Amino acid sequence: MISTHRLPDAAFMTLAGGGGSRAMIRQLLQAQRSKHTMLLHAIAEAASDADPAAQGTAAFRAGYELLTRIQATDHGAGEWLLGLPHVGGWAHDGLIRLDQGAVPDFAYLACAAAAAAVRAGVPFELDVPVRDGRVLLPGLGSLRVPDRSPWVRLRCAGGRLTAGDRLEAATRDLRPDDGSARPVPHWRGTPAVRAAAGGLTWDVLLVTDDPYLDRYTLPMSAGLATDELRRWRQRVQAAWEVLVRHHRWAAGPIAEGISAIVPLTPRADTDLISATSPAAFGAVATSWPPDPVTLAETLVHEFQHVKLCGLMDMVPLASAGAENVYAPWRQDPRPASGLLQGIYAHLGIVRFWRAQRHAETHPDDILRAQVQFARWRQTIDSAVTTLRQTGCLTSAGVRFADAMRAKGRELAAGSVPEEAQEVAREVALDHRLNWQMRHVAAHADDVARLAAAYRAGEPFPDRGQPAVWIEGDVRKIDSGIRSRLLTMRYLAPRRYRELYSDRIIPLSEPDRLLLGQAAEPAVQAYRDLIARSADPQPDAWVGLALALHQLPSSPVQTAFASQLPVMFEVHSCLGARSDPLELASWFG
Amino acid sequence: MTSQEQVIKTVIPDLRNIPLDRLAELGASSLARSIVLYRERLKENGVPLSSFNARI
Repeated sequence: MISTHRLPDAAFMTLAGGGGSRAMIRQLLQAQRSKHTMLLHAIAEAASDADPAAQGTAAFRAGYELLTRIQATDHGAGEWLLGLPHVGGWAHDGLIRLDQGAVPDFAYLACAAAAAAVRAGVPFELDVPVRDGRVLLPGLGSLRVPDRSPWVRLRCAGGRLTAGDRLEAATRDLRPDDGSARPVPHWRGTPAVRAAAGGLTWDVLLVTDDPYLDRYTLPMSAGLATDELRRWRQRVQAAWEVLVRHHRWAAGPIAEGISAIVPLTPRADTDLISATSPAAFGAVATSWPPDPVTLAETLVHEFQHVKLCGLMDMVPLASAGAENVYAPWRQDPRPASGLLQGIYAHLGIVRFWRAQRHAETHPDDILRAQVQFARWRQTIDSAVTTLRQTGCLTSAGVRFADAMRAKGRELAAGSVPEEAQEVAREVALDHRLNWQMRHVAAHADDVARLAAAYRAGEPFPDRGQPAVWIEGDVRKIDSGIRSRLLTMRYLAPRRYRELYSDRIIPLSEPDRLLLGQAAEPAVQAYRDLIARSADPQPDAWVGLALALHQLPSSPVQTAFASQLPVMFEVHSCLGARSDPLELASWFG
Repeated sequence: MTSQEQVIKTVIPDLRNIPLDRLAELGASSLARSIVLYRERLKENGVPLSSFNARI
């Protein structure tokens, strides 16, 4: 009879508040090792039913037998292997393939077991696959094999590893490349960084060669040239210094829990994309971070996901919901579990910027930190309310959400300069209204009834709000440049000033007035644009709402901020030349 | 028992001290049930990536 992992309630509540000690992260990692063992067992059962003559099946069996021997002779080496995010990614892939009726990549286990054996000095002999001329030893590196054969026999004995008949190397040299060792012929160690600051050390791999960690929304970088690797090492070291100096609550647990960074290939130079997968506990993926503080924030952010993924494997917190909802950090509607992940990540982000705003010295950096803090602190409470309304939380999930809310309120305290607060409000409004225009649909009959009442000069009907719901893509809206400039004001203020003053960006006149804080002329310009246009102008409606937001509060401003998609639909029903502000007054 | 001492029973079987070659002996055990449950969750949720664009 086997028991299940136990988690102290105090640890659960500490994690729910966005924290977690190194000891708690070790508990999550121990559970992940058990999960990987469980998945490995499921794949082993499938292998026992597979064609024994197939080389992949034979390699799996040899790898499984080797891993069993490693466990018996060097428990730590077995633990190391079963804790690798690479193995988690592979095991998930195998399980998914089995559920799809496909054959798992059995042979990968032989490579993984060989890596653990090389690391522990356990003798072995087995066949492993050669891919693109290399044998992958997950977590260590890869060996270039001169033969063109798809398989090669590895033999390890007496501290030497041979591949086939020709290649031989000392096992002590087959290590990740932290930049300190001399080159080893035919060997490419996985790039590694040893970051050190303030008495804390973090060892992390930069993985660009494992197919099971190439499972993110963007492709993994195809290797790091010498110069790129040097820059990555410097950036990781600099980010580590930021974390240790100003965010020590996060630094220790990150060193315990993140063992691999996967550099991603970005879509565009200006995009910073980062990602985490529940299949690969301990790995975070990111495109090139433009500065150390951004990488430090990304690590805090993604590590929140790592922790929550580990916890949700142990304690289910949410079921898949029927309806997707608004998340203030995404352009797409999110399921309950996705919203939960986002709130948890932003709990860490709020804590990060809350401290970082006091660490910055340059005015632009201070503005960025203050706006980031102001923008995200206001999202936690309302997002938790949305999450609870989905009805998708388990009883543990409800406790978890309430603890996030309580911590969010605690972190939200503190004053922010008015300029930063105003930028944060405006950017948050822009995000929400764009999202609503994209995703909130209104019932056509209800909209037509409202349009008829307006046309007839009747007052806004009691209970006249149309039925609305959330859909994937209701309207196409083209406000990307304006939104980017709004966020660029605090993310890259100098670049923003250059672009705006040089008129490099092709902005419409209303947008230029809005960004120049000329609120009243901007209101008039958007109003004219909407009234004279034969086609619906959803992005102009958002612009009008933002311009009104720059003016003193009024019922019209409130109507735009709270009922924009419905007003837009009624206006479309009325046809062009109807004045949007008069319509908003009727709604207000 | 105080809240400090309370523990939550999780759904992950504790396999830390069970060698791989003994897993098969567990047969139709709670391990098998845990695998079935995990596969069901995987089918329901997939492997949901948390992907973030910092410029949005």
